[in-house]
Amino acid sequence: MKNLFGLVISIILGVIIILALSNSASFPKFGEVDLADRVSDQYLDQANIDDVGSANIVTAVVVGYRGFDTLGEVTVLLISALGVALILGGSGKQKRLDLKFKPNFMLRVGSKVLFVIILMTSLYIILHGHLTPGGGFPGGAIIASAILLMYLADDQFRSNIKGFKILEGTAGSLFVIIGLLGLLFANYFLQNFIPVGTVGSLLSAGIIPIIYVLIGLKVGSEISGIVDNFLTEEELI
Amino acid sequence: MSAILLIAIPLLAAFLSIMLKKFAPYLLLGVGVFNVVLLFLIPEGFVILGGFNQPLGINLLLDTYSKIALMLVNAVVVVIAFVNIKEYSKFSSILLIAIAGLNGLILTNDLFNLYVFLEISAIAAYLISTSNKKPVKTFHYIIIGAVGSSLFLFGVVILYAMFGTLNMVDLIQKIQLTNNYSQLILPFLLMFIGLGVEVKLLPFNSWVKGVLGESNTLSGPMIASAYAAAFGFVLGRLITNLFLFEGSLLTVVTVILAVGIVMGDLMAFASNKAREILLYSSVAQAAIVAMLFVNGIVIWAVYLIVANALSKLVMFLVVNKAVKDVGSDEVNKLQGLFSKNVIVGLAFTLVTLSVMGLPLLVGFTLKLRYLTELASLNQIWLIAVILVASLIEGIYFVKLLLKLWYEGQEKVEVKYNVTFKVVFVIIAIALLTFGTYSTPLNNLDDSIDTITEVVNNG
Amino acid sequence: MIQYAAIILFVFGFYGLLTNKNVIKMIISLNIMEIGLNIFIISIGFVYDGIAPIISSTVDAGLIYVDPLPQALVLTAIVIGVGTTALALAVAKSIYSKHHTFDLDEVEEAL
Repeated sequence: MKNLFGLVISIILGVIIILALSNSASFPKFGEVDLADRVSDQYLDQANIDDVGSANIVTAVVVGYRGFDTLGEVTVLLISALGVALILGGSGKQKRLDLKFKPNFMLRVGSKVLFVIILMTSLYIILHGHLTPGGGFPGGAIIASAILLMYLADDQFRSNIKGFKILEGTAGSLFVIIGLLGLLFANYFLQNFIPVGTVGSLLSAGIIPIIYVLIGLKVGSEISGIVDNFLTEEELI
Repeated sequence: MSAILLIAIPLLAAFLSIMLKKFAPYLLLGVGVFNVVLLFLIPEGFVILGGFNQPLGINLLLDTYSKIALMLVNAVVVVIAFVNIKEYSKFSSILLIAIAGLNGLILTNDLFNLYVFLEISAIAAYLISTSNKKPVKTFHYIIIGAVGSSLFLFGVVILYAMFGTLNMVDLIQKIQLTNNYSQLILPFLLMFIGLGVEVKLLPFNSWVKGVLGESNTLSGPMIASAYAAAFGFVLGRLITNLFLFEGSLLTVVTVILAVGIVMGDLMAFASNKAREILLYSSVAQAAIVAMLFVNGIVIWAVYLIVANALSKLVMFLVVNKAVKDVGSDEVNKLQGLFSKNVIVGLAFTLVTLSVMGLPLLVGFTLKLRYLTELASLNQIWLIAVILVASLIEGIYFVKLLLKLWYEGQEKVEVKYNVTFKVVFVIIAIALLTFGTYSTPLNNLDDSIDTITEVVNNG
Repeated sequence: MIQYAAIILFVFGFYGLLTNKNVIKMIISLNIMEIGLNIFIISIGFVYDGIAPIISSTVDAGLIYVDPLPQALVLTAIVIGVGTTALALAVAKSIYSKHHTFDLDEVEEAL
């Protein structure tokens, strides 16, 4: 009975949305968008590209035009990491969850080699966020995946959580401080106060790569902290 | 001095508080007081972020409306933080982020940015509700809240696809150019439902009972007072500026809200648990506020939000402290609570009478004014609904007050410390003063403008 | 067509949330819903024959780019989804350690 009720509600919701969108004249059909009607047209404007200096326009939007959103986004991650730690971490000392198998020599050494390679890839992705697809968020997630690999491949491994907390706090504070420096040196919060350089070179786009590196470190340490919280339990004495 | 500091400084303090755990409570208090002081210093107007103009980048809008909202929310959070600083010091970082989230929610002038801050404050609220130690209820809240904000985002994205902008000023101008209203029903409805979840409007508020019904001195006042006020102001901003409720949609929304008012008061009437009575009464009040905004009575809705936030702050603090000491929230177990705590009892009584709308108190002035306004709009049956609801409200509040004043068989021992008493007395006196002397309220009447008016006035 | 598929995915997730009583399944349904929404957001920025909005060294005036803004929005939406999911999973773990079950019906029966 309850399932039927749910089914009916869901179908009604879907049908209403689809009918309303397909009958609407203002809602553009898939693929037939006229960018000239949208703000995005100005993002693709040559003058604005030179102004922001990022070859990857999505990055220009994420960290430049809508950098404030990104600050909020980083805060969302911070608060969920804080919350996970608050809910799962008890007051006592934490110890690792046991793995069901004993990792052998090959697995431990192999995973360490892989760890370094993954870390290098993530650094590359973070540093080239303003030139190629990628940036701080995917790069940070890749760092966390390397840490997760170490947790799964080695039953003794315990990352330095305190270090992560400090890294996370510093990176976050520096993001806000860069924003405040913009307010101080230029006129507006989060405004670029460093010369942008030539579009397409590694050292370009002003504060965008700096912020993206900070985001990468922050996201990496935060998700690693979440991983650690899920893979540890309170030590019973 | 720019309004951005209201968001940036709490965030900076939050990031620092992870590293300096010991100082987190002091950072919280410092930032709260700093924000309240700052509010008196900053000029009104648009705040540009990142150096990009109107539709390109994000900007904030500080006008009289948002200023009232910010004052109220920041002051309430400071009071809650001050009262709970010893017991819930673990939650300091979360409260810092909650301040940043709520301030951003009120200030922002960009719809997607609004969604981001909605999520920040909502996640902070989920975490605050974990202090109740009822994980199942918190889980319900997370699921319902996440669905609500998804629906809100869906509405925002549809609006972007239609008009190609996320900036509210730009969007309002573009919407005024198109005359085809029927296309806007879907996005507006999705956004209304999404916010309705957080504002506690009736069909979407099944989380309220679980969260507020088990609340403590931190989560109760925080969610029922600070959050309710902030979300009420945001809903009002969107209803008066963006959503155009017309024709059949207006009827549907009004009927839903009217049912919400009556149902909320009836459920409070049926309950014999102190916290449930309060939470259902705040559900009914939220519906009244939304109803006033829908009918265009902005200024009295604003005052109603302020009065409600202050009253609910006192009521939830009194009741939750008592519940904590007694260990039960059955009204019968709390009998005679005020016979030993006369000051607290008097303050609570004044606040309750103000919510009911008795003469000499703010609640009466407000109710008289918005009913007159509704009468001039010829909404006779709405007035009837509100009067009936007020009658039910009066009965259950008087019942509650009588029980709390007269001693039963069991002795009730609850000690309120000085901080609590000072807060209660100040708020009760404020409600009494503005109830008898309402000239300042009337003066503010004209200074609240819609966003379009703010833009036109420069 | 892709837009309809995204909306249907959204509705599937919604149905899952309404009917499931298992905490983990509810979190998965929530994620399905968010993925549907994310695909929808991306789809509104697509332009036929458009390429990714990245300026390359070969300057060509005739290039058509897709809308970069929805891609930026979806990045934010994904990260927020990750945060909510992590929090919900943590709460699920504390539900399990308190009631020794993931099923909400069983939790209610036990009370």
